Amino acid sequence: MKIETVAVIGAGVMGSGIAAQIANAGKKVLLLDIVPEGASNKNIIAQSAIQKLLKVKPAALMHKRNAKLITAGNLEDNLNNLANVDWIIEVIVERLDIKQSLYKKIDAVRKPGSIVSSNTSTLPLADLTAGLSKEFSQDFLITHFFNPPRYMRLLEVVQGPNTRQDAVDSIADFCDLELGKGIVNCNDTPGFIANRIGAYWMQTAMLETLRLGLTVDEADAICGRPMGIPKTGVFGLMDLVGIDLMPHILASMVHSLPKSDAFHEQAVMPDVVTNMIKAGYTGRKGKGGFYRLNKSSGKKIKESVNLTTGDYATSQKARLKSLKPAIAKDLRKLVSFDDKGGQFAWSVLAKTLTYSAGLIPEIGNNIEAIDRAMKLGYNWKYGPFELIDKLGVDWFVEKLEADNITIPPLLASAKGKSFYRFKDNQRQCLNLNGEYETLLRGDGVILLEDIKRNQQPVKSNASASLWDIGDGVLCLEFHSKMNSIDPDILTMVGKAIKIIPNNYKALVLYNEAENYSVGANIGLALFAANVAAWPQIEDMVKSGQDTYKALKHAPFPVVGAPSGMALGGGCESLLHCDAIQAHAESYIGLVEVGVGLIPGWGGSKEMLTRWMTNRKRPQGPMPAISKAFELISTATVSTSAAEAKGHLFMAATDGITMNRERLLFDAKTKALELSMDYHTPETPEISLPGATARTALNLAVTGFVQSGKATEYDGVIADQLALILSGDDTDIAELHSEDDLLTLERKAFMALIKQNSTLDRVQHMLETGKPLRN
Amino acid sequence: MALFKAPLEDIKYLTNEFIDTSKLSDVPTFSDMTPDLTDAIYDEAANITANLLFPLNRTGDEQGCTLIDGAVTTPDGFKEAYKEMTSGGWGSFTCDPEFGGQGLPHYIANSVDEMVVSGNISFSIYMGLTIGAYNAIHKFGAEELKQQYLPNMVSGKWSGTMCLTEPQCGTDLGLIRSNAIPQEDGSYQITGSKIFISAGEHDLTENIIHLVLARTPGAPEGIKGISLFLVPKINLNKDGSLGSDNNVVCSGIEHKMGIKASATCAMEFENSTGYLIGDLNKGMKAMFVMMNSARIHVGIQGLALAHASYSSAVDYAKERLQGRSITGTKQPDKPADSLIVHPDIRRMLMTMKSYTEGSRALSTWLSLQLDISHHASDKHVRKEADELISLLTPVLKAFLTDIGEEVTSLGIQVYGGHGYIRENGVEQYLRDARICQLYEGANGIQALDLVGRKLPTHLGRSLRHFFHPVSNFIEKNQSNPELAPFVLPLAKSFGRLQNATLFIAQKGLSNPDEAGAASTDYLRLMGLVAMAYMWAQMAEQAHAKTGNMTETFYNNKIKTGLFFMQKVLPQTSSLLSTIMAGSTSLMALDADQF
Repeated sequence: MKIETVAVIGAGVMGSGIAAQIANAGKKVLLLDIVPEGASNKNIIAQSAIQKLLKVKPAALMHKRNAKLITAGNLEDNLNNLANVDWIIEVIVERLDIKQSLYKKIDAVRKPGSIVSSNTSTLPLADLTAGLSKEFSQDFLITHFFNPPRYMRLLEVVQGPNTRQDAVDSIADFCDLELGKGIVNCNDTPGFIANRIGAYWMQTAMLETLRLGLTVDEADAICGRPMGIPKTGVFGLMDLVGIDLMPHILASMVHSLPKSDAFHEQAVMPDVVTNMIKAGYTGRKGKGGFYRLNKSSGKKIKESVNLTTGDYATSQKARLKSLKPAIAKDLRKLVSFDDKGGQFAWSVLAKTLTYSAGLIPEIGNNIEAIDRAMKLGYNWKYGPFELIDKLGVDWFVEKLEADNITIPPLLASAKGKSFYRFKDNQRQCLNLNGEYETLLRGDGVILLEDIKRNQQPVKSNASASLWDIGDGVLCLEFHSKMNSIDPDILTMVGKAIKIIPNNYKALVLYNEAENYSVGANIGLALFAANVAAWPQIEDMVKSGQDTYKALKHAPFPVVGAPSGMALGGGCESLLHCDAIQAHAESYIGLVEVGVGLIPGWGGSKEMLTRWMTNRKRPQGPMPAISKAFELISTATVSTSAAEAKGHLFMAATDGITMNRERLLFDAKTKALELSMDYHTPETPEISLPGATARTALNLAVTGFVQSGKATEYDGVIADQLALILSGDDTDIAELHSEDDLLTLERKAFMALIKQNSTLDRVQHMLETGKPLRN
Repeated sequence: MALFKAPLEDIKYLTNEFIDTSKLSDVPTFSDMTPDLTDAIYDEAANITANLLFPLNRTGDEQGCTLIDGAVTTPDGFKEAYKEMTSGGWGSFTCDPEFGGQGLPHYIANSVDEMVVSGNISFSIYMGLTIGAYNAIHKFGAEELKQQYLPNMVSGKWSGTMCLTEPQCGTDLGLIRSNAIPQEDGSYQITGSKIFISAGEHDLTENIIHLVLARTPGAPEGIKGISLFLVPKINLNKDGSLGSDNNVVCSGIEHKMGIKASATCAMEFENSTGYLIGDLNKGMKAMFVMMNSARIHVGIQGLALAHASYSSAVDYAKERLQGRSITGTKQPDKPADSLIVHPDIRRMLMTMKSYTEGSRALSTWLSLQLDISHHASDKHVRKEADELISLLTPVLKAFLTDIGEEVTSLGIQVYGGHGYIRENGVEQYLRDARICQLYEGANGIQALDLVGRKLPTHLGRSLRHFFHPVSNFIEKNQSNPELAPFVLPLAKSFGRLQNATLFIAQKGLSNPDEAGAASTDYLRLMGLVAMAYMWAQMAEQAHAKTGNMTETFYNNKIKTGLFFMQKVLPQTSSLLSTIMAGSTSLMALDADQF
């Protein structure tokens, strides 16, 4: 069954977040909650939840208009509406009696074959369906989302013995393709996979920090990059999810796990933490948590709690010897290092990894699924079994034995092997019989990671490579530092343009870094500007313009496939593609003004041309020019691919892929479609109003400068942008070619790069990662 | 014979006309510095150097210092000269008036300094070290220490030293072993051996104030655990009078190639009482603050000796008759023509002259920046000047001391075989000049400092304060036909410097050996371009003739500058080629293949 309409019952943070993600997929969703006692507006809960969705940070909605896809309702009046719904998701309070009574009401009205799922994280499926109709239990499963539902990619799916397989498949397909989730099938055991291991790990880390006398800063520094956990570390993570949740999770685990489970040993809440929760220190949503920002002195000072006394003091950078790169970058060295940092790393890893290994087959019999759950649900860089492989199974077992730690059977059976291996170009994983099974990607998934393992690049240099992704399509991968666009990348674009016409059909710009590209490498330009190497800088600008222009006019289709940030020069590469297939989580924008510059690699030209030739534009050039001016002069970055379409960073016909893993496949498909009957795009010539437009644009900026919203130098930059967008010294009768606009870009760029204020902005951005408002 | 001839005209031109002192116009103590007054100072400095210091230069070199029972005796006449110089206030120009100094700008003090050094470098070292120690105490010392020690150091009654080097550590000061044990009264007991201590012991003053780098118990390893201490040779009583001996003993003096009249001592400290200067473990910070002015000072030593050699060589080339001019006899009434008629002698003299005058312009300009960085009212102006100084200090130190060696060697060459004879006095300049390339950070270290530290800081921001003015100057003057012979070569060599800079910035990122291999050539390239920039500006002023110097002086400047542009600056071409060739051939052999 194809899911078309969805209802979410329970409009709390999770429920409304799930509803938002369904709306992000373009689906209608009914959001229901109870009627509060004495409420005049019976829909008040769901309605205010939708209002909150429009404000929450990070944004739950990919576009504000998506809120209109969510219909608010209440369980008194709208229960009958469930009769039209394909999938009903229950996201209400974690009480079995309340859930079951709701299920009975749902079962009475829902249409036959509709699917019901619960977002429970603590109640077993067996209990939830106990006493309900057979049909209900056949149509029922658990879909456990992680918070926030838009951004966390894990979806745990639990099915009961009666659950229809086709119901599970429908939901899995929908959540994968439409919601972009990574599906992990779990057994009906407490905490399923991610929270079972994750909660154990967080508790262990907290208790070991106390036992070994580390500060929270030290513990987080060790937990962070060295162990492959996001840099928030474990205490930062607890602040993020809410410390007050921990006692509930512990209670639920303690209640449902057998006494023999090692979880019980770690289920102790230190008094200091209990007192913190009582005093309102519940994390970022409260007065602060293990960390807090003290603003009493007027400045924001980061403070950390002392786990022994409960007092706060200014955070001190961790300075353990075990944190030195030579040690911290080598997991074996780290866990063998004899200081409290090394002891902590060993103790936490030894416990967490043996606990994880001991949970198989109880929580699942698929090692890879467990690793995947921890990576997608807790943002670990490596799953527990990948971590064991990093240490080496035998090495790990030997060290455990030396510490008299019991070796779980799975680990013992893996002796002499690794959990993963590559054989015959295949990624394989050990199964419970001690045999290797090949891991296959699903249909519609191509990962560059796999291609790179199995072939040599067609061409490669320090910053970019060309890969043959099959069917006549080449993929241009950036791999410079932060994927900043540098001369090597431009060279590789040039190579692709040369190679493809006689050998391939199409090109895809794509990579698997966190961000597609953060922009041009302005470090080189800054250095050149500091030594007044103006001709060299103009050459750099010209060569970027020439390369992107050649890309645009190449005799084959080019599809840009961004994910994450695509800023500045990275955005400009996309603007010169024939089409874009973007991951839904693409953040696209021309942010050059932040470093005191204007888009000089055709970005200003493209935005101007796109708005001028936009069919929806009202008469006269000024509205179009103003729109391009506004987007660039305020460094607007779209917060999703959907929003990028509204900004014309993407065209209406461009595609959006919800699931990150499907992006390359979709982009390749689009490229092949375009290659069927490909024509190089015509470049329209446009007429521009000249000085009057420049004056008008500047007038608008003057207001912002006077009211303090923009600095005087912002005004100088905006004037150079206005110079380009107005056509400089021209009048409306004159036509401007692409090259004319590029010449204006260079003129404006060169005027700005010679200013000290621009150089100060560039330097500040490179040194601090933050824009300078000078 | 060597002779002393002060470059008075040039110094007056540079300080009165060449440099732009407008950024210092609101500094009260500088406002009296009218040309009349400064000219009088220079005249008197030239006079006292010629009559008091220069006569002791060769005798001091022959006699050297002697060490008997821990006491060092300086050469004959030094004591009397020291008394006269200090009582005349010649050592305290830049010192704070609060402690008896004169509060004058560096650009004046350094010009006087050049004359004193070229008259007698060994003698100048005794006075120079005191100023170095004074600066550190003045900037970082506790108020009580300043009151106790500075007045007598400023007056010259006591002298100072800097005790850094130990037998196992020179460049790498992180290896220092001397230790300082804290005492209950807040003082420290210092124990350790120091070597190469200039003026560590002598008979010129009644007390010597040593600044000693040492390590306290439990201090962090390496450079981060070094502290600076004031250790007097003789302890002071409560009332400031001299008290007990402080166990500071000179155990030997070095036998050196040059600067023989300067006592270079091995010092032993044994439970000597010392007082912390600045913060604990922050001794290197104090050192770094001192370094710029100390290194500029050493660069000026290179210039001073180059000048001494040049003025003697000119005199000799005019007096010495040898051979006939190849274009026909010039002095028919003499048995032969003067040396100066010969093109190759001209080549040497012009090289010496253009380097020396170029160096003087450069050091005067940079000394002015030192004053701006201390005294300008706008903090951005101060900061820019400070960054410019930090960029160009290693260039000035290494380039000017290399010039010192090259020019003093050419000076010997002009003399022919007679240059090699001690009695003629010019070989001493080469021997004396050689130390300047070694101490205060060997020139290779200066080059590494430039490419490894100064270039990358803030992605090349300090470069901006030099490159942008040069670029603007070229742009402003590129269509001026009169200046074309200066601006075109400057633009060409500036382009080479830009290319080399970008090359090093890019290559050095991936392979630090590349930056290291290019460093010495790069430093010289930058030095030559900086000097060309000075010459081009001097030419601009000389063509304008708006100043008070004679027409002859301005013509002389233009002609000398043209020689520099045509005959010296082209070195930049070969330097660029060498830099661009990279490090491969330089690093190709394994160590055991040597």
